[in-house]
Amino acid sequence: MELLNLYQNNYLIVFVFLCLGVILPVVALFLGKLLRPYKPSEAKYTTYESGIEPFHDSRVQFNVRYYIFALMFVIFDVETVFLYPWAVAYDNLGIFALIEMTIFVFMLIIGLVYAWKKKVLKWI
Amino acid sequence: MELEQLLDFKWSIMTPEFIILGVATLLSILDLFMPKSMDRKILGWIGVAGIAAATVSLAGFIDEPVTSILFDTFRLDSFAKAFKFILLIGSLFVLLLAISFEKKDGLAEFAGEFYYLFLTALLGAMFMASSGDLITLFIGLELLTISSWVLVGVTKRNKKSNESAMKYVINGGISTAITLFGLSYIYGLTGTTNIKDMSGTLMTMGGSQNQLYLLAIAFFMTLVGLSFKLATAPFHMWAPDVYEGAPTPVTAFLSIVSKTAGFVIIVRIFVSIFGSVPATGAQDALPMLLHLQDYIGFLAGATMIIGNVIALRQRNIKRMFAYSSIAHAGYILVAFTSMSYFTFDAIWFYLLAYLFMNVGAFAIIQLVGAKAGSDDISAYAGLYRRAPILAVTFAVLILSLAGIPGTAGFIGKLNIFMGAFATEPAHYVLASILIATSVVSYFYYFGIMTQMFFRPAADDSKFNIPVALLVVLIGSVVGTIALGILPNIAFDFLHDNFMQFKDFLQ
Repeated sequence: MELLNLYQNNYLIVFVFLCLGVILPVVALFLGKLLRPYKPSEAKYTTYESGIEPFHDSRVQFNVRYYIFALMFVIFDVETVFLYPWAVAYDNLGIFALIEMTIFVFMLIIGLVYAWKKKVLKWI
Repeated sequence: MELEQLLDFKWSIMTPEFIILGVATLLSILDLFMPKSMDRKILGWIGVAGIAAATVSLAGFIDEPVTSILFDTFRLDSFAKAFKFILLIGSLFVLLLAISFEKKDGLAEFAGEFYYLFLTALLGAMFMASSGDLITLFIGLELLTISSWVLVGVTKRNKKSNESAMKYVINGGISTAITLFGLSYIYGLTGTTNIKDMSGTLMTMGGSQNQLYLLAIAFFMTLVGLSFKLATAPFHMWAPDVYEGAPTPVTAFLSIVSKTAGFVIIVRIFVSIFGSVPATGAQDALPMLLHLQDYIGFLAGATMIIGNVIALRQRNIKRMFAYSSIAHAGYILVAFTSMSYFTFDAIWFYLLAYLFMNVGAFAIIQLVGAKAGSDDISAYAGLYRRAPILAVTFAVLILSLAGIPGTAGFIGKLNIFMGAFATEPAHYVLASILIATSVVSYFYYFGIMTQMFFRPAADDSKFNIPVALLVVLIGSVVGTIALGILPNIAFDFLHDNFMQFKDFLQ
């Protein structure tokens, strides 16, 4: 029973944060409405874009190369994430993990060479 | 894990896999550093040599007793060996088809990838054949599926190829999700992913009713998910579109190697896990696999009927062969349903026979399709006048697919047919559907023959058969006729070396 209470109390904190999350924007917006003056004019209804008149379509196509770069970045990011715990626990894991890691890194190197040769790293 | 323990493992039993992995890696590096202008066909031949070497090294392990390494995740038992032979020979033929495939529609740019992706797909299938753990089984399945997704869409500039790749990805993703959902229930009930431990736990569990219901859900989920892989009705919808759009060697690969791998995984999971669960709480009850066998039987019957009947209406030969391959999956499911003493033999033999007859047929489809520029059945009109030997070869393969005596297809069907009666109670309905739908299949198979022998040819140009394709054609015809007249070659090989797959669960 004591364990159950402990368990439920943990969720109480979650509930408190949930309430805070809901109340905060409601209170902030409501207070803002109370305090601010209300004087609408034509100019205030126009779309605001960093102080300049908006032009062009809002949907911009950006270069697909960003996506490929991002993909490459994620692969090597994940590799680093894998390498960290291995490096920290190296003494305990022993030689087996070293061999596994070598294979893993080797495979990634082949992938990098592939990307390089297929001109993924080049910005056209 | 210490180094001694690591070296204690008998790594040598993985030699065939290591060879395939090494060759695939080598090909990818060679492809990257070879000059652009150089012909990539040499890579294909290296791949063929690699598969041949792997087959030879596998043959060296035939007398090896059951060995398992890496804590039972990789096991080399007779089941794995027998089915790896089919996978390797099938991939060998498919790779030869790929070498002689015309590199158009943007394929020339990816010619190197085209060869080594077959090898990685084969590697996945081989791992599936000899895995003793759900994790490695699933990794193998994914390696096979992802490689085949890329292969289906490899002709980038061809719209049909793109469409089929998209359909295959979506269907494959859904089926994988359903399979995994089913497997997660089994894992949840047993607490292990090792297949042997799972069957042990489930056997002794006895089981309350609740657990049995969960297991039944797992059974159906896994069956449905893997049925996508086998392209059995009603989960066959993707097959005709994908088969039609994919390059012909890839179509051959899907219908031979991928289907074999599907049956391998289905037998592995169902026989070893659901074959050992008592269907009701009592210890001496029927295993769940036999208890729920009517449902598999229903799938088999529906697959045979739908596959053969819809094939009647097809004008595109690749679509027709897609439906024909759906129907053949139904025949093999009959063997799986009956679960008799001969089931493993019948499945193995049928897959071997199907390999030979189907790969030869696809070789001719590729040849004629490249010449005519379309896969319409009218391209075969007057083939006998233009190339008599080619037409006769195709006729032999088609007769085998239809199951005419004297060919491998007949013996395969006979085995399945007899197996359906070898159990108590016998599966009369399934056996009669098997016969009836075989008769239906004669209509469309013989429709191709009518075109070849009795219709006038549109043009008289001769065929120029590349060496690689010639090897496939000779191999497939010899295999089809030899297994048809002397089926004991295969059965003796099976019985002498694999002892009825007794070590399947050891």
